[in-house]
Amino acid sequence: MIRPDEVKMSVEETGKWGMTINQDVCTGCQACVAACAMENNISFVGEEDSGYGRSMHWIRIERFWEGEYPDVRMTPQQPMMCQQCGHATCEPVCPAFATVHSQAEQLNLQVYNRCVGTRYCANNCPYQVRAFNWRDYQRPEPLSNQLNPDVTVRRMGVMEKCTFCIQRIHRAQDTAKSEGREVMDGEFTTACAQACPADAIVFGRVDKPETLVAQITNNGRGTKHLAELGTLPHVTYFKEG
Amino acid sequence: MIQKFFNWLKQPLGLIASGIVFLALVSAVVYGIWRTQQAPEQPIQFPHKTHVNFGIQCLYCHPGAARGPAAGIPSQAKCWACHNQIVKTRDSALLAPLKDAVLSGKSLEWVPVAIVPDFVHFNHRPHIAAGKNCEECHGDMTKVTVAQNPQDMTMGWCLNCHIKNAGDDQEKLVKLTDCGTCHY
Repeated sequence: MIRPDEVKMSVEETGKWGMTINQDVCTGCQACVAACAMENNISFVGEEDSGYGRSMHWIRIERFWEGEYPDVRMTPQQPMMCQQCGHATCEPVCPAFATVHSQAEQLNLQVYNRCVGTRYCANNCPYQVRAFNWRDYQRPEPLSNQLNPDVTVRRMGVMEKCTFCIQRIHRAQDTAKSEGREVMDGEFTTACAQACPADAIVFGRVDKPETLVAQITNNGRGTKHLAELGTLPHVTYFKEG
Repeated sequence: MIQKFFNWLKQPLGLIASGIVFLALVSAVVYGIWRTQQAPEQPIQFPHKTHVNFGIQCLYCHPGAARGPAAGIPSQAKCWACHNQIVKTRDSALLAPLKDAVLSGKSLEWVPVAIVPDFVHFNHRPHIAAGKNCEECHGDMTKVTVAQNPQDMTMGWCLNCHIKNAGDDQEKLVKLTDCGTCHY
């Protein structure tokens, strides 16, 4: 019998699921941040904990200032989420094997029931996109009704991060399989891409050259953040052009 | 003081007393474990064996199993469709909660028996599509009254079956043993 760790995949570089972000059309409206929080049962940490830097967002809009006053210019808005690295720096440091690489979907997984909360992965992530549950944050009565039943409600002491909406991936794959076909391009997308009013975020299969996301990724203009670290990120950014 | 207590325990009376305490603790533990293995109390002592022996298919009352994640518990409207034609329903004490629920419009609050934790995302559909029969996981319903859970639904139990069914198909094995298939 062949164990799963003996199966060698060549798709770690290309990945399976990928995302492109067009920074020219991103207005920084934060619709993706809100949609992500709704889809993935992300807690609202409140003002005080947020001040301690404990806010939990799986996607955030980064922006930087260039130049000296008074010639200050803002860089394009930069949505930043887990880059689902092919060689992720978070994975080898986990002592509990809670953050593992999915061979089937080529994603970085966070297995909440294995996580013991060492926070080593977050310290080792060059993108700083992991969020830690410092408390069991309460959801007052009407808010509990909007929890997504397809996503685990995390508890205190557990690390979490963007999953590329793996619950939507599974649902689309399940629907496709029940109808005896492959998942089609554009059949589903992540919550952030769905909410983006400017269509700055495109999601799909990057290993299939005919998909929209693969065509944008492979047009040669994109950059991958901190690719020089050898993390093989699967999110491609575009700007100025 | 403590020395005195230990000396007292060594007397015949003390030995009997400690024996009683020991037996009480053991039986409390046994009772506690036994309690965890019992099916939860249901609003109606629903006799699965009677219904299955009439020839009613599992999927007639739990049709969600063939379509999606949850098998579903039938609403009382589905019960009533048959039961309003059955004379016994009119004055049977066991069926009184059903009659009351239908006439008053309140829901019967069934208690799920076969449950997995929140961090496990189980989907019935692929299991039915793969040719699994209900009784392979849920036990023989021709023998039980209120549904019982014959399995400890542990991850090892899931994985044993997944690895066995994947066989030599590498791609299938990778998919079926991937953490992200169930945990997200």
